[in-house]
Amino acid sequence: MSVLAEVAGNLGAIGYGLAAIGPGIGVGIIFGQGVQAIARQPEAYGLIRQNMLLGFVLTEALALIGLVAPFIYG
Amino acid sequence: MATAIVVPAMSEQERRPETDGRDFADAAWSVPSYLLSGILIWGGLGWLLSWWTGVHAFIPIGVVLGVGLAAYLVYLKYGR
Amino acid sequence: MTPLMLVAEDFTAPGPSIFDFPPLYEGAPTWLTKPVLMAVLGALVVCALAWSAFANPKLVPRGMQNIGEMGYQFVRDQVARPFLGKDAERWMPLLLSLFFLILLWNFFGVVPLIQIPVASHIAFPVVFAVVIYVIKIYLGIKHQGLGGYFKNMMFPPGLPKPIYVLLAPIEFLSNLIIAPFTHAVRLFANMFAGHLILAFFSAVGFWFLFEKLTPLGAGLGVLGVVMTIGMTGFEMFIQFLQAFLFTMLAAMYIGGSLHPEH
Repeated sequence: MSVLAEVAGNLGAIGYGLAAIGPGIGVGIIFGQGVQAIARQPEAYGLIRQNMLLGFVLTEALALIGLVAPFIYG
Repeated sequence: MATAIVVPAMSEQERRPETDGRDFADAAWSVPSYLLSGILIWGGLGWLLSWWTGVHAFIPIGVVLGVGLAAYLVYLKYGR
Repeated sequence: MTPLMLVAEDFTAPGPSIFDFPPLYEGAPTWLTKPVLMAVLGALVVCALAWSAFANPKLVPRGMQNIGEMGYQFVRDQVARPFLGKDAERWMPLLLSLFFLILLWNFFGVVPLIQIPVASHIAFPVVFAVVIYVIKIYLGIKHQGLGGYFKNMMFPPGLPKPIYVLLAPIEFLSNLIIAPFTHAVRLFANMFAGHLILAFFSAVGFWFLFEKLTPLGAGLGVLGVVMTIGMTGFEMFIQFLQAFLFTMLAAMYIGGSLHPEH
């Protein structure tokens, strides 16, 4: 079977690159929608800010777990 | 004569955009370092435990526990 | 083997070795390399700009003074005032020179012939981060007392006692070790990765259009050139953003030490 493409280098680094895609999209969605929500309803600023922050924490946690996973199983 | 009464959604006193913005930026920028230090401390404890007992499952348990505690800390400090 | 692999066989992507420079001239000390020269040049240019803008201020600004005041206003309104409040003016000299120096150092990455963002060597951001770190701790201890500073930092009020055992180590590590580390690494990593991306796409363009022009590889070469141009524009935006963020975080740390959270 012929090899179409080949990956060389540190597998952990590649794994982190893949793991960062999802949280990257997620953080973008959270802050984008959060800013939109504040623009539509400025009086709900406190509530929106709070939920934006919590969503950001949960999403960022995935990115950082992806960061340490190669160190654990590498 | 009907006059439209425009009521601002929030008074300046309630809103205080400067300090609000500062607090939010403060919180958002410290989230990654909180999460990372939670992982390091509790993951490190898990690593010590696994090294001591030979059970490898302690490392991922410690990492997830650290993430959870750090997220809880952010919630306690900024989310309420 | 696919045809594309045959074309790309001899191509080697630029690696981290593109950041290694030999000493400037024969017999120079090993530390005297191009990035060091550019760092000094950047500092001198910032001094000259600030001198020509602010040394002899006129009531109606002209020439350099206009540009200098634009920069001053930007840093004051976007960085200093939101985080430092009424202390903003006192810290403007530090923040303004920090912002301009980092901005110039970053812009060196896209200036032809210079083409090395100084901050892509981690030693340079580390010095800035250490300076801000020392200022932060000194101000915190001066304004809140030695015990008060660590108490405010590690024990946010209003929690049940057992929770502190779990959370205080996280606070300590986050504030005193991880935060300054990420402060320096954020600037370094952005400049390093950005320079690598530019080097990679321009190497693709150069290799497939000039070194080994083949009908199949030509499209790839054109793609490389287009991406180089697009990425240069994006890189300039990132360079500005990173200079702004570094200054903003510095102001945030200083402000956090001056006014503790209640």
